[in-house]
Amino acid sequence: MYIPRSILLLLVIIYLLFLVGVDWMNLPEAAWYRPFLLGFLIVAVSSWAHREQGSDEL
Amino acid sequence: MNYELTTLFGLGSGYLVLLFGIAFITERGWIPQKLVRHPVVYVLSLGVFASVWAYYTSVGNALRDGYGYLAPAIGISLAFLLSPLLLKPLLELTRTYQLTSLADLMAFRYRSPWAGTVTTLVILVGVTPLIALQIRAIAETAAILSAQPSQGPVAIGFCILITLFAILFGTSRRAGRTRHDGLVMAIAFESLVKLLAFLSVGAFAVFGAFGGMDELGQWLQEQPQMLSSLRDTNYFSSFHVMALLFFTATVAMPHMFYVTFNESNGQRSLSFASWGLPLYFLLISLPVLPILWAGLRSGSSIDVEYFPVIIGVAYDMPMFTLLAYLGGLSAASGLIIVITLALSNMCLNHLILPIYQPTAKHDIYRWLLWHRRALITALIWAGFLFYYLPQDRTNIQIIGTVAFTAGLQFLPGILAILYWPQGNKKGFIAGLGTGVFIWFVFLMLPIFMELESGLLSLVSINFREIAALSLISNCLIFVAVSLLSSTTDEERSSAEICALDTIRRRKRSGLVAKSPEEFIRSLSKPLGDKTAAREVMQALQDLNIKLSDRRPYSMRLLRGRLEANLSGLLGPSIARELIDGYLPYSIVSEHGSSDLNVIENRIESYRSNLSGMAADLDNLRRYHRQILLDLPLGVCSLSFDNEIVMWNHTLEEFTGIKSTDIVGSQLADLSEPWLSLLTNFLDEDSSHSYKHNFELDDHKKSVNLHKAIIDESGKQDSSHEGVIVLLEDITETEILEAGLTHSERLASIGRLAAGVAHEIGNPITGIACLAQTIRDEYQSKELNNLAEQIIEQTNRTSKILQSLVNFAHAGTSQTRYENEIVSVLDCIEEAKTLISLDKKSKDIHFQMDCDPQTKIMGDFQRLLQVLVNLISNARDASQPDSNIILQVNVEGDRVRIAITDEGIGIPPAIRDRIFDPFFTTKEAGEGTGLGLSLVFSIVEDLNGDIDIISPIDKSKGRGTQVILRLPCYHEGGSQSTSAREQEAEAQ
Repeated sequence: MYIPRSILLLLVIIYLLFLVGVDWMNLPEAAWYRPFLLGFLIVAVSSWAHREQGSDEL
Repeated sequence: MNYELTTLFGLGSGYLVLLFGIAFITERGWIPQKLVRHPVVYVLSLGVFASVWAYYTSVGNALRDGYGYLAPAIGISLAFLLSPLLLKPLLELTRTYQLTSLADLMAFRYRSPWAGTVTTLVILVGVTPLIALQIRAIAETAAILSAQPSQGPVAIGFCILITLFAILFGTSRRAGRTRHDGLVMAIAFESLVKLLAFLSVGAFAVFGAFGGMDELGQWLQEQPQMLSSLRDTNYFSSFHVMALLFFTATVAMPHMFYVTFNESNGQRSLSFASWGLPLYFLLISLPVLPILWAGLRSGSSIDVEYFPVIIGVAYDMPMFTLLAYLGGLSAASGLIIVITLALSNMCLNHLILPIYQPTAKHDIYRWLLWHRRALITALIWAGFLFYYLPQDRTNIQIIGTVAFTAGLQFLPGILAILYWPQGNKKGFIAGLGTGVFIWFVFLMLPIFMELESGLLSLVSINFREIAALSLISNCLIFVAVSLLSSTTDEERSSAEICALDTIRRRKRSGLVAKSPEEFIRSLSKPLGDKTAAREVMQALQDLNIKLSDRRPYSMRLLRGRLEANLSGLLGPSIARELIDGYLPYSIVSEHGSSDLNVIENRIESYRSNLSGMAADLDNLRRYHRQILLDLPLGVCSLSFDNEIVMWNHTLEEFTGIKSTDIVGSQLADLSEPWLSLLTNFLDEDSSHSYKHNFELDDHKKSVNLHKAIIDESGKQDSSHEGVIVLLEDITETEILEAGLTHSERLASIGRLAAGVAHEIGNPITGIACLAQTIRDEYQSKELNNLAEQIIEQTNRTSKILQSLVNFAHAGTSQTRYENEIVSVLDCIEEAKTLISLDKKSKDIHFQMDCDPQTKIMGDFQRLLQVLVNLISNARDASQPDSNIILQVNVEGDRVRIAITDEGIGIPPAIRDRIFDPFFTTKEAGEGTGLGLSLVFSIVEDLNGDIDIISPIDKSKGRGTQVILRLPCYHEGGSQSTSAREQEAEAQ
């Protein structure tokens, strides 16, 4: 099965961030909006991964 | 602070009228297409998924589940972040085969109308409470804000407006084919209003209610249970189920399917949405917690769900209340419009059309349009009744959540579409049935039983465990039944189309209908003449195929396109039934009948998605293909049943037949002479055939032909994949060969002539000697004069013979000529005298126009020879008593000598050949054909040029003018440049 490289990279990044991020946002002194910061980071990485690469419209 | 119900209703109506306006001006094309088709608009239209669930319910969920309220947003975001794995392949499928809903997709993949019907029913059950939830949210917010318990009129008014909007802008005669730009723009606008309203209310909660971020932080420190409840592990009670449910819902829920796939602008928009939609959900989830805390701080007794509209009232900022109310209205109306549109299509295609189909007498488009409109109305009002009838409306939310869980049961079926070609319809229906049974018996029934107790909650009915159990059972049964039961060929082929990692080797079969006209005739029976013609023309236009095209390849493409287009109109099951019934295959060939053209086209269109070894292999394939295409030999590849598979560039140029017009045709469709040429050669036993001659556009052509059988390696039987024919155009070679032979012949004649000239030379010398003797021995003046002329003529003859010898040894001339000052007038006079000696001479009048001082540098004898030849030719062509005009004038450093006659002129056909050696129009014995060719070579030797204009009088077609241009000699001055050059060369 064919999986684009950007997705494989994204999966690894998401997995690593998820582990670190869950610990980070669950710290007792953490601000309430920490999960959202994590979310914005994921969106930023995703927008890079999905950047236009001259795709052919099928 | 309370609002008048009429104010709220007026506000809502005004807002919906604004939506009407936006949809209207978009449909009219007043908004630029660039904006309408912008990916941002697509992302915002996808925001329709953020219904009152995200707007109101999430505030309540945040209180109960802490961060668990983010589960829906996380589920949807994951589906879009991982779009290349799920959404993009599905988008390609739905666009190619015009599948407008999940039911269409299931019916297409599992090749069963039942798959579509069951899917529609389950979704109908799951979605109706969701519609009711939206109506309830609008009615209850209106009731809260107006402090009037009666919610009915608001709900009814809202439903009427929404019904009108959905019917006006969501349905058209070409449903399933075109984007509804007006609707998409309106929905995008709604999503924008919803987002801005919610963010504004959130900002007000932080900065208005609390006074700033620091104050909010301080308040949270004073209320430590608020932060700790956010991270309470209890929120995981249904977190996974909800995230998975919403992940599945991106494909399973009709409104998401509709916007994601039907209103998409292609892969580019989806790539944009892959991060754009998660960003949207992140932004819309952000204000939830501040709104919740601001509501709690205000001590409001209203349901937590309605805090977004209540905090404006609680903190005395009515503007934010109205803003929040509008946002809620946007969330509810957008969802109801899109969901009922999508559901109406599903119900029509999978519940009504399988039972009742319009006859050919009906206008099918009109029939479908009105049924779709009736269904939209019915669905909206079914949602209204679901909201209105129950006494205890507080439990609608629980029922909605549980009903929504039914969508989860489609997850195995959806994943199998792309990743498990072995899954079949029996497995799918059995798995879905099991999952839905468990869901209904263990979740839905207890809900209705516990309604009376009033203690209904998701925990009390073991929501998480039972949802997981139903999904696991569904998967197990799906896999087990699929593996144990048989799969039909049709279903297998459909699975291969959908699977990601296969490029189906389509079988190439002949169709009974051989032309688009026959397609129309066949389809007229079920669809009626008008509809059939319209559909076939539409399909031809989609494929860019001409009406006159008869190629089997085109007919197969047309059939596939028609099935896809009808699928968009009537659903895949009915479309397939119609196409199979009325456009059947004539033969189904098995051996080696893969449709290579289709496979190649598919690989070409998928090319940018290939990477690694697949991309390398594709490059190799393209390289080898390009070699064949650019080969300087004509290449025609035929399949085993004589269908033309390849027609390369050389063959295109040679035959004038474009490959796009002929590839996919039968060999028999070729025009003459190619048909006879190729069929005769293919019938021959020999693999090579040389020098086939034939006429093409009145030109003789000559080709060599070679053929080779394409064998599939490893096959023992005598069958083969096809034949490759090479065609070598040898016409040019033939012409060159003929030219060479002709030159050889001329050279032989030249050698012969040189020999003859040599032999004649001896007697001529004898004559000259005798003439000199007569001149010297006899005193008679008359005799001396005659002898002088004989000597002069013998000298001339000797020179001519010498020229002939030189001409025969062209290019190797060693003879050196005189380079003297020659008077042109003297030379002309001499030529005239010589010509007048000819007894056959006609009575011709010479008109002279010559300056006696005109001189050239050259050889008198050779110029004389030129003039004698040209004047005698002019004389021969002229009638007696006609004129020959001899003009001599100086043009710069050239002398122009023009000899003009009034003769018959030179026919255009021979004009190019008159300077060829041995070419003559005179009768045998009258001329050698060497005259003009000698003239040509002498003039070249004299550094001059020669021109012939004929006819002079174009109206009568008579008269010829020969113009000589020779280097001029200027008395007392310098010589012409060319003469100087000649001199320099001589030195």
